[in-house]
Amino acid sequence: MEQQTFYYDNKIVRMFGGVTILWGVVGVLVGLLIALQLAFPVMNFNLPWLTFGRLRPLHTNAIIFAFVGNGIFTAVYYSMQRLLKTRMFSDLLGRIHFWGWQLIIVAAAITLPLGYTQGKEYAELSWPIDIAVTLVWVVFGVNMLGTVARRRVQHIYVAIWFYISTFITIAVLWIVNNLSIPFGWFESYSVYAGVQDALVQWWYGHNAVAFFLTTPMLGLMYYFLPKAANRPVYSYKLSIIHFWALIFLYIWAGPHHLLYQALPAWAQSMGVVFSVMLLMPSWGGMVNGLLTLRGAWDRVRDSAVLKFYVVGVTAYGMSTFEGPMLSLKSVNAISHFTDWTIAHVHIGAMGWNGFMIFGMIYWLWPRLFNTKLKSEGLANTHFWIGTLGMILYAVPLYWAAITQVLMWNEFTAEGLLAYPNFMETVTQILPMYYLRALGGLLYLIGFLIFVYNMIATARSGKLVAEEEASAPALTPMPSKRQPGETPHRWVERRWVAFSIWAFVAIIIGTLIEIVPGLMVKSNVPTIKSVMPYTPLELAGRDIYVREGCYTCHSQQIRPFRAETERYGEYSKAGEFVYDHPYQWGSRRMGPDLAREGVVGGPIYKSNAWHYKHMLKPQDLVPTSLMPAYPWLISDQIDLEIMPAKIRAMQTLGVPYAEGFDELAVADMAKQGQALADDLKKSNIDVAADREIIAMIAYMQRLGVDITKEKK
Amino acid sequence: MATEEQYDKETVDSKLMIDHDYDGIKELDNPPPAWLMWIFYASIIWSVFYVFYYHVFYDDSNIPDDLKVYGAQVSEYNLEVDDAIAAMPVSTFDEKSIELLSDEASMAEGQTLYATKTCDVCHGASNIGPNLSDEFWLHGNSIEEIFSVIKYGKTDKGMTAFKTQMTDVQIQQLTSYILVKMKGAVSTNTKGPEGKGTDMGNAEGAEDESADTSNAKGPEGEKHE
Repeated sequence: MEQQTFYYDNKIVRMFGGVTILWGVVGVLVGLLIALQLAFPVMNFNLPWLTFGRLRPLHTNAIIFAFVGNGIFTAVYYSMQRLLKTRMFSDLLGRIHFWGWQLIIVAAAITLPLGYTQGKEYAELSWPIDIAVTLVWVVFGVNMLGTVARRRVQHIYVAIWFYISTFITIAVLWIVNNLSIPFGWFESYSVYAGVQDALVQWWYGHNAVAFFLTTPMLGLMYYFLPKAANRPVYSYKLSIIHFWALIFLYIWAGPHHLLYQALPAWAQSMGVVFSVMLLMPSWGGMVNGLLTLRGAWDRVRDSAVLKFYVVGVTAYGMSTFEGPMLSLKSVNAISHFTDWTIAHVHIGAMGWNGFMIFGMIYWLWPRLFNTKLKSEGLANTHFWIGTLGMILYAVPLYWAAITQVLMWNEFTAEGLLAYPNFMETVTQILPMYYLRALGGLLYLIGFLIFVYNMIATARSGKLVAEEEASAPALTPMPSKRQPGETPHRWVERRWVAFSIWAFVAIIIGTLIEIVPGLMVKSNVPTIKSVMPYTPLELAGRDIYVREGCYTCHSQQIRPFRAETERYGEYSKAGEFVYDHPYQWGSRRMGPDLAREGVVGGPIYKSNAWHYKHMLKPQDLVPTSLMPAYPWLISDQIDLEIMPAKIRAMQTLGVPYAEGFDELAVADMAKQGQALADDLKKSNIDVAADREIIAMIAYMQRLGVDITKEKK
Repeated sequence: MATEEQYDKETVDSKLMIDHDYDGIKELDNPPPAWLMWIFYASIIWSVFYVFYYHVFYDDSNIPDDLKVYGAQVSEYNLEVDDAIAAMPVSTFDEKSIELLSDEASMAEGQTLYATKTCDVCHGASNIGPNLSDEFWLHGNSIEEIFSVIKYGKTDKGMTAFKTQMTDVQIQQLTSYILVKMKGAVSTNTKGPEGKGTDMGNAEGAEDESADTSNAKGPEGEKHE
């Protein structure tokens, strides 16, 4: 067979690798800042764009889409060329992909601190950025599948199975979850409301974990781990089984984020059972990775790269064991809304994603720059500091979670909450927050050592931009299955069929779970007394979303005695039908607000209390971790945008009367004036057009409607 | 296509798949570990049982099971609480027959409760609630009336009902502390007179007195004669 000579494009790999390092440092740095904000609220600096609620989405998006995202692309662009013995399909598409993605990150880094957000976790980016992500993702997909089509290798390797499933599934998830009706340049309302929005969001959210943080990382592992260990992959059969089981089962598991919440029971059960079934398919990846190291364990002692892989893959095994356990309803009842979740995801992000990427780049950089790693010693130092940082991050948070939930749930002999004051349960775990910030600091120090090592390595060599390679041309094979060819081997050489099967695997769960969730009316029993928000309350709600209040406050009371005693009657599905987007939250750094407005409820507060609390929470709750929001008092409500907001809501089926958009501002002024007059009784002088007025109006509306039905 | 069998040198049990070579990466023909497959099958069987158990065989399967858990939990707790209360000394008073305490132990308890129930948040320097150290009262100054306000709240005005947070005895101690120890004390609350004055003084007098507190609110409520 005639050998063909061609060149691998290493420049694009270096570009993606470089920004992986850059955005990784930024993401971890922001993470450290928000960890410090939880320990020392003064670190919010009284500035809107530096508050926890706005920076937390920046941290999560930076780690997921900027650090891990670019890390994935580095792996894809390096490994695919070699696994398929061809240059990438198009240099131009690669550059558009690269620069497009970096522009998206910069746009996110500007808009999120400015408060432009969709208010859904890991889907905060505003609609124009969402469209840009979609377009760039398509460019990536075309470039990737084009490369597969032009390959010189008959069969596509397991790493590429994972890459293809990543591309397909993220495209579906991203588009469906981000559908929204814009009413401004960066503002929009989710097309789904309440329960349905929650269901779609966690179908997306959980599978962002699955198909952005897991499947492409497994692809990375299947190339870089056997390469670095120079050992054969342990079991091809296991690769097949765990790949298909993983992508088929993962897509169903989302509702485990909504257990005991206002989601239909059947959907909750789906979330439970599919999470449990996921355990072994997930472990299939870990087992195949660790057993591939058989015969190479002696080298783990000396090689920093292998050390990172061993801990990375083990962290994957830990978090995929923990995931199914946390999905059991009885465990979730305890763990949900606590720091347990935070610790869990950081084992995944720091250990699995972080360490796999570090291992990859330590191995890759000397090869790209045709040199030796500057310092193996520093790489080992990074490994140990990073591991220590991760332990010091996670263990205190597990401890904090258990401490806090036991305090939330404890009753005295007389049947009263033992710690009715929420703040007591927070001050108790503050020492754990200091330790966690220290853990994050160590992880960052390790990261900076890595940065130095990589810069020094790059400087000591020269980039091999075009790497010569040769391989025989692909001999066409008949598309019919050959005698002796297994069905899977057959599909491995037909990438279109393979992609279709992968799509089928992920769409089944999607259709069975999401479509009835959206279509079947009986899933959300109507409550007659639940009415749309007034324009003032709606404006307040948008401020609530803008400030990222959902990052610390839930709006979902589960049917547990400890919760109904503390917060009021448990939440009903029908209460959220006008909530675009839903704001149930996932962590209670502060109390649940679902019944904040219920007069006579356990957590009702007067208007004056809310005013003073927003101005400076520590005046009322001395140990509060909440940032101050003085700008709500100085800033005016954006009145010009109100008619557009009402019209957007009308488009979504919210029953405002015809022509109400023109009356909205007058309605607001009236309700606002009444509120301002009430505040005046407490000697608080504030104009009726300030944001604080809208915010208080929203607070006082929360959870109220259902109480009117009973009368 | 391989007639000769190739074995991985270091793991002699594993056959190398000869036509699997991806940029030098080989694959072995090992079966998946049996334990892994068996646990996987078990999890599938468990899942089928789970779904059938909760959604098919339940007689009352149209009731969401979370609510059944809730009902059971509440009645279980209520039973426990009933037992605990039955075992306690009988409460000899309610808001109509409560007595003022003045012993040191009760005062100390009251003071602790005043702090831990964060009364000062609203009745101190924030001036959200009325000044408790002057002699003006919005809802009356008798022990019965104050006890009642603390226990049942004035929720429309933002005063929490503390019946879910304190026992009657604790509320009695707190009420007594407020009436005995706080009266005329220097408060961080700078609100002026609110409500009726007590027999200790009148509105003007109270304003003079409250000048050295930090609550700047004007008179609220009727003065008690």
